[in-house]
Amino acid sequence: MERLVSSLRVRLIGVVLVILAALVPPLYLGISAIVREGYAERFVNSLRAYSRLVADELEALDERDFDQRAVALLDSAVLSGQVVFAEIRDGQRTLASSIATAPINVPARDDFHFGDQGDQTYFITHTLNRGDHAVLLRLGFDEVPTIERIAAAERSVLLVLAAFVAASIAVAVWLSWVIARPMVRLQEAAQRVASGDTDTQLHVRSSIREVQELNYHLEHMRRELVGTNMQLSQEIREREVSEQKRLDLERRLLHRERIATIGTLAGGVAHEFNNIMTPILLYSQLALEGVPPDSALAKDLARVIAAAHRARTLVTRILTFSREMDSQQPTVFPLRAPVEEALALLREIVPANIEIVLNAPAEALPVLGDASLVHQVVINLCTNACEAMRRSGGRLAVTLAAVENPPESQVAPGCYHVLEVSDTGHGIEPAVLAHVFEPFFTTREVGEGTGLGLSVVHGIVRSMGGVITVHSEVGRGATFHVYLPAPSVQQQETARLASAAG
Amino acid sequence: MVPADSPVRELDSVSVRKLFLGRPVLVNGNQLHPLRNRSDALLDEVFFQHIVAMSDSNYDRQILIGVNRQLALRPVELNRTAEVVAALHADPNAVSFMWQRDVGHNPELRVIRVLWSD
Repeated sequence: MERLVSSLRVRLIGVVLVILAALVPPLYLGISAIVREGYAERFVNSLRAYSRLVADELEALDERDFDQRAVALLDSAVLSGQVVFAEIRDGQRTLASSIATAPINVPARDDFHFGDQGDQTYFITHTLNRGDHAVLLRLGFDEVPTIERIAAAERSVLLVLAAFVAASIAVAVWLSWVIARPMVRLQEAAQRVASGDTDTQLHVRSSIREVQELNYHLEHMRRELVGTNMQLSQEIREREVSEQKRLDLERRLLHRERIATIGTLAGGVAHEFNNIMTPILLYSQLALEGVPPDSALAKDLARVIAAAHRARTLVTRILTFSREMDSQQPTVFPLRAPVEEALALLREIVPANIEIVLNAPAEALPVLGDASLVHQVVINLCTNACEAMRRSGGRLAVTLAAVENPPESQVAPGCYHVLEVSDTGHGIEPAVLAHVFEPFFTTREVGEGTGLGLSVVHGIVRSMGGVITVHSEVGRGATFHVYLPAPSVQQQETARLASAAG
Repeated sequence: MVPADSPVRELDSVSVRKLFLGRPVLVNGNQLHPLRNRSDALLDEVFFQHIVAMSDSNYDRQILIGVNRQLALRPVELNRTAEVVAALHADPNAVSFMWQRDVGHNPELRVIRVLWSD
């Protein structure tokens, strides 16, 4: 700031000094010439009139007492204070004032201008016409008082000009400060904006219109910059969200493809396995009928048949997951019905330390599909929840609701009837959470689970056009949301007619 | 300086000043006509110092004041001595001034007053 102020000050003072150097000398010389001219004219006018009067008086004097009266007149002239020399020459005769004056050198010729001949005396000679001859009157007027007046006036002019110069420099210094101060503030504000602080408004007060305009334009630029920055930030955020969505979709697509591949594979295996299990089960039952019921062989055959049933159940689950199983004709049914049925069954088998709560609205919440599959979904989800709370106990809450445009990113906008199953168990690790819907993925001990429960649920929900999501925090439980699309009136009517026809 | 046939015999210094300041001066009922001789610079200086007894700028001012108040007539100004002589010849009531050497022994001119001798 100091640098700008001093630089501006030096420049302004320099400009002022140059202007003054160009103007003041000719101004001084001009004013001095006018002053000198004025004083000189006044002096000349005065002495010419006065000397003419004296000459006229002398010319009018009577011849009889001319000498006496002439000397008296010359004395009077000297006593006036202006005349320093006075004499009359009449041929060889000279009459001078009786009052002594300082010795003076009388020049050979008259002065016609103030300051002529440099003797500080203005000499003038009048020719007096006295009868038949001429008499010369010579008067010398003192120029010194007028010279002193001129010098005093010139000193005054000089003083006034010096004061003018000083005032000009002071004004230049003041102007430099007045101009520099808002400029410095503008500079500081611009530096703040340049360093990233775009929130500070540029507001510099100044009486100079140009500075006000500069401030206005800089503020306009700052606002433009702020607007552009905000727009860029918004675009960056949108791109980040878009990129995140793209990655998420890609991940889900990969996940879905993986599940579909595994499902197809499992379905094929299950189909073949089912074909194998049919003769095993058939021949085991035939063999059982041919042996005594209490024999050891009958017990063994019974075990074989039980194992074959379990194997068939497993195959059925695999087929359900892969949709290889024959699906029933979809019907419209209230969501609450299979849920309540499943919960009633569960209440019989879950430990007493687990509380089961159903939150369901009064309305029907119709869904389109197979009610038994929803029953299976509820059983599977609730079984997993109870398993998570088996040791510590807790609360199993099942909630039904109608939701429009769910906040879940995986779920497309639309109207859904939601089945929410939440527990207060140990929760699911984030690393595990990403794989819970994959078939044969399990965290249980070998022999305790097949890893097909949630993958079957996923397959059922997908077959009904729905979406299942899971949220969990370790130690705080897990929540599954099953979004089933709410059927339109037309869909409901079509399903009703198909059911009636079938 | 007047023409030889001029009715003017003599003029005192006050009449001369009045004449060349444009004020009317009558001699025998005839108004005199001033002719200002401007043939050289020194003669001009003598005119201001000894005839009108004032500075040139003051003279101009007095003439202007007189003319504006219709009290005076601006003297005729002539730049060459020959023109002055011719004008004097043409007007018996004319009055002018010139160096003694320029008058010479012209019988048609008459000196009525010595104004200045160097």
